Amino acid sequence: MNLLPGIEITASALNAERIRMDVIAENIANAQTTRSVDGQPYQRKVVAFEAVLDHQNDNSKILGSESKNIIKKVEVGDIRNDPTPGPLVYNPAHPHANDQGMVQMSNVQVSREMVDLISASRAYEANLNVISTSRQMARQVMSIGK
Amino acid sequence: MIDSILGSNNYQTAKKLLDVADLRHQAISSNLANIETPGYRRIDIDTNFDSKLKQATESNNIDNIRNLKPSLSIDQNVRGVDPDGNNVKLDSELLAMNKNAMTYEFLTQYLSSSIKRINGVIEGKVI
Repeated sequence: MNLLPGIEITASALNAERIRMDVIAENIANAQTTRSVDGQPYQRKVVAFEAVLDHQNDNSKILGSESKNIIKKVEVGDIRNDPTPGPLVYNPAHPHANDQGMVQMSNVQVSREMVDLISASRAYEANLNVISTSRQMARQVMSIGK
Repeated sequence: MIDSILGSNNYQTAKKLLDVADLRHQAISSNLANIETPGYRRIDIDTNFDSKLKQATESNNIDNIRNLKPSLSIDQNVRGVDPDGNNVKLDSELLAMNKNAMTYEFLTQYLSSSIKRINGVIEGKVI
């Protein structure tokens, strides 16, 4: 029995959006990193979302046997590096400058990350809204007959 | 008396619609969860459910309403798809969710008042 309708799906979305915000935070933190673990400039990471069928969610009582349950959860499918090269900046005083005095910077654009952060937090908010509606619905159903 | 309330067309229809509202809320939560998933298409209760329900209520046979099963399908009526193939709109989804929650509240209150009426009869009170 599931008292709060759709709670599993919303929980999966909150988790996915939180991972996305973590990745954005990592990108912004490393916006100026010119040496990453592999010795190369830091490359921004990009999150890919995937929709997955929710097998635990059993709606067979409402839906009947002949129609399919197509309600989908969301998961982080992949986190990849963005391979586009960052800008070359002339700064001979920089410890990581090459022989010509150029420094290969990371390819993080803070403005772009901020826009992504806003859209992630808005999506998070929308899902919180769904939870509060679910709770309200559960409360109403429990007050039947009172 | 009990049968005339619990077995009435309205009571059974409200019960069925409560199931549908529950299912629709799940569909909307799936849509909002996947608002940024590339290629996701919004889902909703199948559009022919309303006409099936109308037929069932007009047939005046309770079992027709009881045996009615809603189904979920990909919404074909949405215009405008994002470049990534996703067609969920945040505003219309939140609007649909609030509308559905209102329907749910109405139905729970209706069912509740039906049961209260029976209670009143048992206790001999006038409500």
